[in-house]
Amino acid sequence: MNHLSPDQISQYLIGDLTPEQEAHADSCPQCSARLAHLESSLSHFRSSVRNLEETNHMTRMYSGNETMAGLSSLLIHSGVIALLLLLGTLKPVQHMIQEHIMLYAPSIAPEKKVIAQGGGGGGARSPLEASKGKLPQISHKQFVPPRVDPVDAHLPMVPTIIADSAPPNINSPVYGDPLSHMGTPSNGTGFGGGIGSGSGGGVGSGHGVGTGPGSGGGFGGGVYRIGGGVSMPMILKKVEPEYSEEARKAKWQGTVQLSVVIDEMGHARDIKVAKSLGLGLDQKALEAVEKWLFKPGMKDGKPVAVFATIEVTFHLL
Amino acid sequence: METVLSSEVMQDFDAVMSQHRPRIFRFILASLRDRESAENLTQECFIRAYRARDQFRGAASIPTWLLQIAANLVRDHESSGRLKFWRRALGIDLRDVMDTVPDRQLSPESMLSVKQDVEAIWRVAAKLSERQRTVLLLRFVEDLDLLEIAEVTGLKLGTVKTHLFRALEAVRVALEERK
Repeated sequence: MNHLSPDQISQYLIGDLTPEQEAHADSCPQCSARLAHLESSLSHFRSSVRNLEETNHMTRMYSGNETMAGLSSLLIHSGVIALLLLLGTLKPVQHMIQEHIMLYAPSIAPEKKVIAQGGGGGGARSPLEASKGKLPQISHKQFVPPRVDPVDAHLPMVPTIIADSAPPNINSPVYGDPLSHMGTPSNGTGFGGGIGSGSGGGVGSGHGVGTGPGSGGGFGGGVYRIGGGVSMPMILKKVEPEYSEEARKAKWQGTVQLSVVIDEMGHARDIKVAKSLGLGLDQKALEAVEKWLFKPGMKDGKPVAVFATIEVTFHLL
Repeated sequence: METVLSSEVMQDFDAVMSQHRPRIFRFILASLRDRESAENLTQECFIRAYRARDQFRGAASIPTWLLQIAANLVRDHESSGRLKFWRRALGIDLRDVMDTVPDRQLSPESMLSVKQDVEAIWRVAAKLSERQRTVLLLRFVEDLDLLEIAEVTGLKLGTVKTHLFRALEAVRVALEERK
């Protein structure tokens, strides 16, 4: 029988030969050798593919001159660093950087207590404390100080006190100090006309023609500082501040310090940021503290407005 | 029973993946000769397999099914013509291929001869059409029989034989020319 044709060698591997041809391929040394060479080459090819996957190519991806690569890398890096240093020495760049530093001048000037201004008081040196009653009308000018016992006059003037805004008042047929106790009508222990323990023509414990514990006209009283007979306000209701979106994204944490006045009603007003944190957190702290409710600071058993510093701490869990 | 079993096997996709990933990667890598594309396509292959895992009914074995997806991906990749690695000059990493030939016990001369043979086959494979190369790889690297190759490639048995014959002829001619 003839040797296998080249085509038949390939067909043998596919398994497309007749039984006779296969028998010849197995018995003929020449044909076997040709087949064996093809088969072993393919088997080596198979091994090379299978090992290809196991070889770590990452270390041999680059087949060029490694010294050159290292040198050029060094050159590029030192070039970039030198460029950065050079940029730093340039005057315009230094100037630009300096311009971006913001400086805050701390406000050390004493704050003017515009709202807190006021107060008034009076009395008739009576041994009895001023009795409870309604406040007189608010006016810009006082002609007659209030009295608990109206004077019989031919041309009666309506008694007034001086204030910008209406102070809290009570409903009562007679004049008196709204913060006082019920009792025998009295103009109080103060002097200078008016009602209460203060002086001047107003109502209350202060001085002047307003009402309340302050001095001058208006309503309220001076703002006290904690200590020296003035008790500290206590928090009754606390609202947790929200995080601002920017601060949350920036993972910004810290403390906002607010300086506030806790008024006699227990509300924080005149809120100012004493120590800013930024990224909208100041505003969030302010909004929260506005909703807080305090037991006001007390002086002589009476609620008074006091200065306080509140620290609102923001931290992310 | 077989169907139920296969479906259950497919539920444990992690196991399937870790078991068959090397083979799929090897097949795609040998087809494309580009490691990055091979990694991407292997990933794509398992993503497709995962999405279609409910449709797997055990009609084929899992490796055949995965190779089927891989062969389709290779064909798409080739026809898209984005990266014609096989058209490029060879020898990019033939050095790697050469290093991977085993048989350390061979003499230096036969070692060289074997390396040159393998290199010749790689070169031939580079020139083959995508179909012929896929069939060659499936038959002689993945050891699939002709019926399995027909299933994987979606070709008729006769067509598979024709492709394989042409591929083998090219290999044989190249090896004989080298002598």
